[in-house]
Amino acid sequence: MKFTLDWLGEFIDLPTTDPDEIAEALESLGHEVESWERINHRFDGVVIGRVLEVGAHPNADKVRVTKVDVGDEVLDIICGAWNFEAGAVVPVAKPGAVLQGDFEISQRKIRGITSNGMICSESELEVGEDEAGIMVLDADYPDASGRLGEDFATLLPENDVVFDVTITPNRPDCMSVYGLARELAAFYEIPLEPVGLEIDGGAASTSVTIEDTTACSRFVGREVTGLTVGPSPHRIRARLVAAGVRPINNVVDASNYAMIEFGHPTHAFDVDRLGKTVVVRRAADGETITTLDEVERALLPTDIVVADAERPVAIAGVMGGADTEVTDDTTGVFIEAAYWDPASTLLTSKRLGLRSEASARFERGMDPEFCRRAADRVAQILVETAGGTVAGVADEYPAPPDPVVIDLFMSEITRLLGIELDPAEARSLLERLGFLVEGSDPLVVTVPSRRPDVHRPADLIEEIARLHGFENIPARLRFGTGVGLGHRESRIRALRSVLVGAGYHEILGFSFIGSSDLDALQLADDDPARVGIRVANPLRDEEGVMRTTLLPGLLKAASANVAKRVEDVRLFEIGKVFLPGDGELPDQPDRLGFIAAGGSPARWDGPGRPSDVFDATGLWDRIAESMRLENVTVAATQRPPFHPGRAAEIRREGDVIGHVGEIHPSVAATHGLEGRVIAGELSLAPLIEERATWQFSPPSSYPPQVFDLAFEVESHVPAGAILAAIDDASEGLVEGRRVFDVYEGDPIPEGRKSIAVNLTVRAPDRTLSDDDVAPIRRAIVDAVETKTGATLRGVV
Amino acid sequence: MEVKETLARLRTEAPAKIAAVESIEELDELALQVVGRNSPIAAGRRSLGQIPPEERRDLGRAINDVAKELEAIIEARRAELASVEAAAALADDAVDITLPGRVPRRGTTHLVQQVMDEVVDIFVAMGYTVATGPEAETEFYNFTALNFPPAHPTRLESDTLYLEYGDDPEGVLLRTHTSPMQARYMEQHEPPVYLVVPGRVFRRDQVDATHSPVFHQIEGLAVDTDVTFGDLKGALDHFAREFLGTGIETKFIPHHFPFTEPSAEMHVYANGRWMELLGCGMVNPAVFEAVGYDPDAVTGFAFGMGADRLAMVRHGITDLRHLFDPDQRILEQYR
Repeated sequence: MKFTLDWLGEFIDLPTTDPDEIAEALESLGHEVESWERINHRFDGVVIGRVLEVGAHPNADKVRVTKVDVGDEVLDIICGAWNFEAGAVVPVAKPGAVLQGDFEISQRKIRGITSNGMICSESELEVGEDEAGIMVLDADYPDASGRLGEDFATLLPENDVVFDVTITPNRPDCMSVYGLARELAAFYEIPLEPVGLEIDGGAASTSVTIEDTTACSRFVGREVTGLTVGPSPHRIRARLVAAGVRPINNVVDASNYAMIEFGHPTHAFDVDRLGKTVVVRRAADGETITTLDEVERALLPTDIVVADAERPVAIAGVMGGADTEVTDDTTGVFIEAAYWDPASTLLTSKRLGLRSEASARFERGMDPEFCRRAADRVAQILVETAGGTVAGVADEYPAPPDPVVIDLFMSEITRLLGIELDPAEARSLLERLGFLVEGSDPLVVTVPSRRPDVHRPADLIEEIARLHGFENIPARLRFGTGVGLGHRESRIRALRSVLVGAGYHEILGFSFIGSSDLDALQLADDDPARVGIRVANPLRDEEGVMRTTLLPGLLKAASANVAKRVEDVRLFEIGKVFLPGDGELPDQPDRLGFIAAGGSPARWDGPGRPSDVFDATGLWDRIAESMRLENVTVAATQRPPFHPGRAAEIRREGDVIGHVGEIHPSVAATHGLEGRVIAGELSLAPLIEERATWQFSPPSSYPPQVFDLAFEVESHVPAGAILAAIDDASEGLVEGRRVFDVYEGDPIPEGRKSIAVNLTVRAPDRTLSDDDVAPIRRAIVDAVETKTGATLRGVV
Repeated sequence: MEVKETLARLRTEAPAKIAAVESIEELDELALQVVGRNSPIAAGRRSLGQIPPEERRDLGRAINDVAKELEAIIEARRAELASVEAAAALADDAVDITLPGRVPRRGTTHLVQQVMDEVVDIFVAMGYTVATGPEAETEFYNFTALNFPPAHPTRLESDTLYLEYGDDPEGVLLRTHTSPMQARYMEQHEPPVYLVVPGRVFRRDQVDATHSPVFHQIEGLAVDTDVTFGDLKGALDHFAREFLGTGIETKFIPHHFPFTEPSAEMHVYANGRWMELLGCGMVNPAVFEAVGYDPDAVTGFAFGMGADRLAMVRHGITDLRHLFDPDQRILEQYR
């Protein structure tokens, strides 16, 4: 909320004019000052002048040539506005003045005649919105004509400052100049001007009935007659503009001005267009209203309306109707100031997607006790600015609520804040904020009706703490009884360091994907990843669906890097995917995903090596070994988005826990990736499961026997089967086995291949002789031949 | 006499020849002529049989003396040449040491993850337990259990992302903060509670320099029989000093959160100005009631901080978008 320091000064006499000090005071009260700005600096070089002559320009018919008396001299100025004649008192920007947007005024020739400055409009000076003509000062500033040549700024409040303050949603009472004045008065312990108004005036010509007292506990209608609609005086317009509100006319401006001043929204109906019997009721099904913004809106019985005998004339607390709007011809108004129930106001404004400054306030809770004064303040302004006369009032307040009374024990303050306060001190803090306090322990505290946020002791303690000052509460360091990081977090960190150690960089991808992202993966029709949970209200289509797999994000990330010519891209992500489940919430399993594109580039010491599928399976092996996973198997699989011949399914104890491999070339191409792209996606849970503590095994100190075996086998038999057969037959004596050659072609017959394995055999307790090794070797060969149909080619 | 003269001449002339030899190969050849089979020494020895026995002994000793002397000189020269040759071989093996070495490639943990780990560790050292929770969350845990009134603006579709899941259109949402874990954890555990919750959160925000629909928070909660606002200040002051340096200045200013009362923001003085670092407060009794704790028996404090923001403040990052950019040239900086 924005307001000027000058306005604040109408209610309190601040001990300082330093905006930083005031901002600090507001901040320590909990009202964050986003910014403050001096406004008078805008007027350097702008002085008061009087137009002496107005004449035609010989070479231009859209502008006129004027002579303007600026006190010590008379300037020739060319002006494009036509809303003034000789005699007008006006603001004049002399050459050298700098106006908004760094617009420097200088002497310049316009069609052959020199102009020595500029006569300014309100908008050029940022004191109003009127751009149509120049700002004529006579009416609003009668003494201006006696001050020719003086700075224009001297007409305005001295050193005025605009503050922009964020009011937290629990403090509707502070959404006004007066509300913040009250806070500052409490802070500085200075007096606050009383609101003081309540005007009499007899009964209104319009009757008011409240049918739904839950939605509306009070309704005030104040009539003002005999007014003339026109522009507000400059003082009011300037304050509205500073507050970020566009001046409209004196009636609308009065309502807005009073709202910023005291917080309570009001609405002015044209009394002659409004029926004589006003009712507050629920809308009927099928009823409609055309609101001020010229939109016809269908109403529901959950909406509360203000209606006359014929039709709804306003949606309660949200927006008035166009039918009864104040126009230029309006001469009398009916000013509504009501208490609208926050919940029902919200329901309607949300349903209609119509949130106004007024609805935002009613939603937070206005002060029902203030309705009468809110309406009367508008009436008072209209008397001053529109020549109106205060007429009758209708004030329906069938059941004023009982005030909230809270017992506050001193021990409760100590329990929550850790400080001991004297009851008198606590009492004084609360009284400064307008609470009525009796007793000493407990303090019996009556909460003002403007404070819907205060209803239990903790709320009062907050008030005490904030006025006492958080800085005056001493800090104490205490240690908890928690159990630390825990197994899961430690294991995730370990897993992350495996990926980091393998050269992969972690990314934080968004949790959503676009609906087309899954299509781009060319997934199988029955792939569960095809069905993503939709976001109901995404801002962009790219955020329309919750991710069911980490791969789209990784592919895009790799693609973005390749587009920037980054070589050897290696990325990973650990995060949740979202899948339909049986419970109240979607299933949200954690996954590990990785991707690599490019491979290592050539260097001075050797050629580059592009990534391929074995980088993916190798990374998996690294993960499995580092995380001490047991009973895991790798088998070929055909599963989009992977390459049908270069992907593996990873199983642990029979369950598929993930896939690694090369991305299908056409999927890669869709993502702008060329060459082999490797990727994988794995369930996180089995990777980080708690493992039994591992047991040390001492290495054998005896020499090994090392020999090679080459098998010839049908091409389709996987190497893994041969290695598994070797492992099965090894009787714990094979310390290492390494595939060192895979060969197809002459002299191996068509459809067969040769796989050569280097074996290291070693016993824990003795030196193996050739005689010892022979049966082991035979057992291995037998096992491989039996299980895979291979034949031994002989020792390579 | 002839033998003696030959030996004398050999003894005089051989050392210079040995010294002049430039390779072990040449030395081997020379050695044959000086002390080997073809040498005057071998010849002298062969001649011993033909000389009178009374002279034989003296002559034999003289021959041996010369042989030993020359052999020693040869061996010394051999050693010298060997070391020269070894040095030459090493010199041949020399490289341009400024050529780039083979650096084992290392990746990086994301900066925001590093920050979350670091913050978690600071609180773990203060006796907190780590837990995480669901990102798709119920309206109840995200708002209602945390005392958000039905009219709270954050509930609006303009601020919160809702999921098309289940029957209630506003029943399941993407959690807007890590605070739901306060309620979930307290429901499942008796006090005392000392909890820290790192995690991902969501808001319906356009991506810009300071906003993102996805960001990261670290939530904290301490509930015990006698936790005060002073304890809150103590814990968070300690955190700020650990995370930003011992000289860091902090201040607490009043704020508002539905689930804490009183509520505060902690500001720190960094990069030449005060800036908001986190939100905190004493757990609202309404939250204790919602999770089945007795607000007369326990008090507590809670806090929440943006991990992305912490990373930006500490590492001079002015645009949030950099943190979600997968550009490897950025990621490589997160060493």
